[in-house]
Amino acid sequence: MIKSQRINVFQHVPFLRGILKSRLFQPVLTLTTLFFFTLAIVTGLFGTPVGNRNFGIVFVWIVWWGLLIILLVPFLGRLWCAACPIPVPGEWLQRRGIINRRQGRLSTLRWKFPKRLRNMWLQNFGFLGIAIFSAIILTRPEVSAWLLLGFSLIGIVLSILYENRVFCRYVCPVGGFIGLYSLMAPIEVRVADPQVCATHTPKDCIIGNEYAYGCPWMVFPGTLERNTYCGMCMECIKACPKNNVVINLRPVGSDLMVAKERRLDEAYKAFIMLACALLYSAVLLGPWGWLKQWANMDTLPHWLIYAGVFLLANLLLLPGLFTLTALLSRRWGGVQVPLRQLVTDYAYTLVPLGLTAWIAFSFSLVFTNGSYAFGVLSDPFGWGWNLFGTTESAWTPFGSSLIPFLQTGILTAGMLFAVNTAYKIAGQHTPNPRQALRGMLPVAGFITSITFVFLWLYLG
Amino acid sequence: MKRELLAIGIVVLILFGLPVGAFIYQRQQTSSDSTKRVIIIQATVPEAGGFQPSAIKVNAGETVTLRFSSMDVTHGIAIGPGLGIDLGHVDPGHVKEVTVTFDKAGTYTFYCNTWCSPDHWRMRGIVEVTDPDNPDAIPIAYHDPIIERLVAEGVNIDANVTMGMADHPQPDVLTFDQPPSIEKGNILAATLSIPEELSDAEWRLTHTPMEGLELLADKNPSNSMNDLIHVIAYLWVSDTRFEAIQWAENYFNQNCAACHGQTGDGNGPAANQTAESPVAFGDAAYMFGMRSDVLYAKIRRGGMGTDMPNFGTLLTPEETLKLVSYLWQLAFLAPNSGIE
Ligand code: SF4
Ligand code: SF4
Repeated sequence: MIKSQRINVFQHVPFLRGILKSRLFQPVLTLTTLFFFTLAIVTGLFGTPVGNRNFGIVFVWIVWWGLLIILLVPFLGRLWCAACPIPVPGEWLQRRGIINRRQGRLSTLRWKFPKRLRNMWLQNFGFLGIAIFSAIILTRPEVSAWLLLGFSLIGIVLSILYENRVFCRYVCPVGGFIGLYSLMAPIEVRVADPQVCATHTPKDCIIGNEYAYGCPWMVFPGTLERNTYCGMCMECIKACPKNNVVINLRPVGSDLMVAKERRLDEAYKAFIMLACALLYSAVLLGPWGWLKQWANMDTLPHWLIYAGVFLLANLLLLPGLFTLTALLSRRWGGVQVPLRQLVTDYAYTLVPLGLTAWIAFSFSLVFTNGSYAFGVLSDPFGWGWNLFGTTESAWTPFGSSLIPFLQTGILTAGMLFAVNTAYKIAGQHTPNPRQALRGMLPVAGFITSITFVFLWLYLG
Repeated sequence: MKRELLAIGIVVLILFGLPVGAFIYQRQQTSSDSTKRVIIIQATVPEAGGFQPSAIKVNAGETVTLRFSSMDVTHGIAIGPGLGIDLGHVDPGHVKEVTVTFDKAGTYTFYCNTWCSPDHWRMRGIVEVTDPDNPDAIPIAYHDPIIERLVAEGVNIDANVTMGMADHPQPDVLTFDQPPSIEKGNILAATLSIPEELSDAEWRLTHTPMEGLELLADKNPSNSMNDLIHVIAYLWVSDTRFEAIQWAENYFNQNCAACHGQTGDGNGPAANQTAESPVAFGDAAYMFGMRSDVLYAKIRRGGMGTDMPNFGTLLTPEETLKLVSYLWQLAFLAPNSGIE
């Protein structure tokens, strides 16, 4: 079942295994991003307060964000997490090294991370916490810089207390949605043959060996079925003495169908991401100027109302509507599945929908504001430098006539994929295709309505 | 082990070298060649903070580039007084800059000259130019003989009424249903005996047309009041220079018309948002009781509690006088006084 429809990339591009086995692979990525990350923090703290003239704002919230949500996550899943600079200082301290595998255990206090927090809830609430302040974070370089710095510091503290990447796995608000949306990606790190693992008792990939560390994401590759918690760090590829770990190409969204690993915290992540995409689109692209001002904290009471409604929509309104949909689905389909499981299962239809909605949203963000990147490359601090002669390049919104078509296209694709996923999930609840069809109809209705709201917001 | 050290070296270079390098580079940029200093000023409507920063310090003789970027709506950027800098419109997201050398210590004002919001006229910022050799010296207080003379004369600049007219015929006694005609006045002037004072620009500056009318009527008792009004109108605009009017018209349209109306009808798009109704310069009856020096003082000082901003920090005295001469044009030439 797992093996069907997979193409082992190593079989077709043999030298890729060599590259990924090299201990240089990840440091090359992280040292590169660390350079830009440090620059973003320094420019944020000391550069101009004018957001679109500050490298920190432009590169983090336009360039990085655009790359992440439009290219990296949809096509390469969690690969960003292998390159991410935020947790690496902590990881290097744990390992007491950057490249080489230092023998012995990780240097940490080896506390036990609380069981109740080993899920996505911290990430859910962290994301919401940032989301309600986003209008400020996204425009004020200084605030943005402190946020990035704060992330890195939390990462360091957590890696002193706990082994491995606890920050990435349970805390990082970005990591949460990257994990969820990486279910869609057409690539995966998996073992070629689970049978080999079942009989290989040393389990180098978990405990590590002289070539590699044990999985920093606390995942066992041998039974890995979904991308969500694999940070694609490639340690297991280096560790496995049987060369059993490979990179696969696979059909988009394969992981959505792994029924036994669906969880309510992930379902909530899907709700929150969809609701946030809707609300951001309304605030930033919608026709309501007052809404924008409220989000920008024009007055504290306005912002409190905005934040309250924002949280309500994320935590109650959208999940509530979806629960009603699931109830209707149970009635129409006549299946005997507990409501909680039904809501959780169907929530995964919102993964393709939410991802494409974010892509559509980011199209207008990136195409409209992307040209600021040329200016800040030459003058990262906004101090009047002209390193590459591009400081004076004017702001030119790109492809404004093209954006609506791209948005319509990607949203429609997301909607169709989500409806198809709904049908397949319904099929997991009943062997009867007619029942499945009736059961998925309310969910399909929900998906279609949400898509129309997005289209209305973007094209309106 | 070698590559491990290399990696550590790179990390140190990034974490410490990058910021230190940036600051060193910036020092070089600003010290070795002071023409490189760029000050970025972010323009937002006054309700959202106006200019940020709103006060900048510059050394006398220093050349700086002021780079304005608009964060919200279309603004217009100008700097005065006496610099003649008008960058024109800056659209949202766009940037315009000007490189200036401030020669003398003093205070200059950068301001928005496009009506951008109800509080538009508050949108100002200051360039404080200090003498590096003598940084504490405060530039000598600005002398304005015209205003000083008004004060000495005891004229209430803030009064919105005709000046020194108690024992003269009030303007509303005269009929302005036939608007004053400069052309008719020009023709008639040749046939009248003009009192000496009326040909004196200095006298006209400090007197109202109504007072002029009194003198003219004394000398020419046989002429009708209506004819004499035409002549006065002609005399009051007689020696304005074309390029002054051109400049002033442009300035008026940018900075004054939002409230006072482009034709001087006192009914510009923002007229209903001011504390007091804006004055209609196109109203010849009103202007017949007004003095140039009082108009001058009102422009430079602003109107207490009326929402009329001060322009003394934006305009030189000469520029202010040009603007005053344009107001007379509005009074006697504007469409609402019936003359093209
Ligand atoms: S080391 Fe390789 S073979 Fe052994 S359990 Fe891990 S992935 Fe499987
Ligand atoms: S499963 Fe392998 S690639 Fe994924 S995080 Fe663990 S060690 Fe890294």
